[in-house]
Amino acid sequence: MKHIHEQDVVTVREIPQTRLAAIAWLVLAVVVAAMACWEWRMRQLGLLVGDLEDSKSAWSVERRRLESRDHDGVAILGGSRILFDTNLDVWQELTGRRPVQLAMPGQSGQRVLADIAVNSRFDGLVLIDMTPEQFFRTGPGLPAFEGVLDYWEDEGPAKRASHQLGLVLSRHFAFLDTQYSLSELVDQLDLPNRGKIGGPYLRPWKLSEVYADRQYVLWRQIENNEQLRSHAIRVWTNRDPPAPSEQVIARICGDVRDSVAKIRARGGEVVFIRPPSAGAYYEREQRTVPRKTSWDRILRESGTFGIHFEDYPDMQGLNTPELSHLTREDAARYTRAYVGVLRERYGWLRPGAELHPRAR
Amino acid sequence: MVFNSLTFLVFFAGLLVLHHLPFLSWRAKKVNLLVASYVFYAAWNPPFILLLWASTIVDWFIARGIYAARDKSRAVRRSWLVISIAVNIGFIGFFKYGEFFLENWQALMQAFGVVWVAPQWDIVLPVGISFYTFVTLSYTLDVYLGRSKPIGNFLDYALFVTFFPHLVAGPIVRPTQLVPQFETPKQATRDQLLWGLGLIVLGLFEKVVLADGGLASAADAAFGAKDAIGVADAWLGTLAFSGQIFCDFAGYSTVAVGTALCLGFALPDNFRMPYAAIGFSDFWRRWHVSLSTWLRDYLYIPLGGNRGTEARTYVNLMLTMLLGGLWHGASWTFVVWGGLHGLYLASERWIRARSGVVGDPVGPWNRLALALATYFLVNITWVFFRAKDFGGASRVLAGMFGFAPQAAPILPTIYMIKVVVIVTGILVVQWFMRHRALEEVVSRAPWWATGAATAAMLFAVIVTQGSGQAFIYFQF
Repeated sequence: MKHIHEQDVVTVREIPQTRLAAIAWLVLAVVVAAMACWEWRMRQLGLLVGDLEDSKSAWSVERRRLESRDHDGVAILGGSRILFDTNLDVWQELTGRRPVQLAMPGQSGQRVLADIAVNSRFDGLVLIDMTPEQFFRTGPGLPAFEGVLDYWEDEGPAKRASHQLGLVLSRHFAFLDTQYSLSELVDQLDLPNRGKIGGPYLRPWKLSEVYADRQYVLWRQIENNEQLRSHAIRVWTNRDPPAPSEQVIARICGDVRDSVAKIRARGGEVVFIRPPSAGAYYEREQRTVPRKTSWDRILRESGTFGIHFEDYPDMQGLNTPELSHLTREDAARYTRAYVGVLRERYGWLRPGAELHPRAR
Repeated sequence: MVFNSLTFLVFFAGLLVLHHLPFLSWRAKKVNLLVASYVFYAAWNPPFILLLWASTIVDWFIARGIYAARDKSRAVRRSWLVISIAVNIGFIGFFKYGEFFLENWQALMQAFGVVWVAPQWDIVLPVGISFYTFVTLSYTLDVYLGRSKPIGNFLDYALFVTFFPHLVAGPIVRPTQLVPQFETPKQATRDQLLWGLGLIVLGLFEKVVLADGGLASAADAAFGAKDAIGVADAWLGTLAFSGQIFCDFAGYSTVAVGTALCLGFALPDNFRMPYAAIGFSDFWRRWHVSLSTWLRDYLYIPLGGNRGTEARTYVNLMLTMLLGGLWHGASWTFVVWGGLHGLYLASERWIRARSGVVGDPVGPWNRLALALATYFLVNITWVFFRAKDFGGASRVLAGMFGFAPQAAPILPTIYMIKVVVIVTGILVVQWFMRHRALEEVVSRAPWWATGAATAAMLFAVIVTQGSGQAFIYFQF
């Protein structure tokens, strides 16, 4: 007798003999109640409705603006400092231009600069942050933005749509902050580890609020909550990155020089900026990547202009609660100060001035 | 689009409404499903839909050609079949294995002293190509082998190939399983809809909470290690991956079954508590069932199966599993993974033939011990499946067998706890449900207990959120 396999007949699925409608009502009631409690608790912890969060998709939206020429001729690259320390509204108020914010937390702007030099027609002003330890790092940055330089071009319609839907929901629910997801909260338990393992406890936790156009501001809780602030400081100061070798510095200086030359060849300009840091973090940066061998050298070799916070009186005394990023109030002050310097140097940045000849 | 994304939620909600509209004809609803399936696929990368159309159309005409030639010589029918195989395998060969072939050709040339550098291969792998190619091939092969007639209606055929729940990662359905369901109007009953939604919650819980939120980080840390790793880290990393790959793929299959059921269609199970398997033939009756039966029906049996000599049977078994390994990915590590499974199956066959043991061993402790031995050996194979190369695999294997006692620890305590808790939970549940279907367990459980468990899973899915990570099997 021929054996009949299940592949040879029409599939039929059993339905459990139970009170499925009652189960559905119970699930609905419990989940709605639990979610209401969870949302309430997350708001108590300081999460905000309208905090949009950042992601590769959000970055890609901005990156594509460069190619579609939907911009005002200014792009900002770099790590988290220039991201937190720049107030886009102040920029717009002072210059009539709103920069495209392409800096990324935990990343070096140098790779993005190289990408824009080669894979873009952008010919406006590139403002690039040089956070010394990140800028000369050869390894990967934070995983959240890994592969973003390929991602922005390849991002399919489904991911773009999910990003837009996520923005809509984030305007109504605070709990959607992925840094306060269940798995993140579990990972943030402070447990003893073997050997020298840092573990997820010593990764950066939530530091920012993010609004439209990737406007970052320091999360209020970092200013107000001693425990969160201390954790952030511990994360920054617990690290012990090796000083970059001469070969690495030379290679990166060479890459920057090439990128700057390419952008200038099509009429653009590149300006470096070194935002403030403080305390033990600043002292370590002075030791591992001293100004003379990094900042001064890169400006000299690339022939670019730079704005180092140490050189300007109105960039002193700014408040960095966790040693690395400015409060939102001081970010506005700092933006006002450095944009003032830029306006002095580049007349086309003054309000009412003609657009940079090739900025559009 | 992936099931664990906001886009899919909106897409599926819209489709459910459309499918339940009372005034649309059955044909219009099928057209809706077909168009929706194309949208579902194109949402990844629109141009690749051309490949799906090409594969669909080619096999539609070829199957008809084979059937029309049923009274002619076998050579005519075979030439039709060769065209189908050439086109389908050609697509996979180019997109999936092109780089692999070039790299190996380069290595082969160098072995003979010929210096040739393979060109840069910058081709994106179309998602799900291995799955829908097997679906269309099974259709043509069934017609060729006389198991079924060509489908009379192109709409039903295209929907069979493209039906979005199974399109990109299975279950790999056969025409006999699905096509008759398109012939008469289908709309889910209230209970089908609710049970389908329950399955979706279960599948998303497995994927989002257990695989991505619970286990992925430990597996990534262990298999991403650049230096030697110790015994605890190697084992926990491998166990984490064994749980991750199961929850990821079984989660996908469960959501696929659930979404189809919400629309009134039945897809077959793809997983049946594989980590409770006793022996490897049992494992392959429980793991990725639709692939293992596909390989059995369209590769192992046509090769001769167990109808020839004993030696020939072992050769057929090994060939089937080696090719099954290669199907998973263009890398020799996948071939080794398949080869190990082939070796296990052959060894089991040899032992059973000589000992005369048929079926499960007697006694619960014997069964448990053999199930754990099976799981142990399956974990060895997962090392080759997960590692990027043989260097990575040997690092993890060396750790597992204690050859790196001085290695620095890798896994943080919290990852270790998550692995132990989740993997133990998976094993206990699978052992308990070894001979039970989920539907049977739910039927016997108090309704409020099922409700509480479902609510807990849904709550966990929502607060874990996830980042819409793709399912592991999409890359195959």
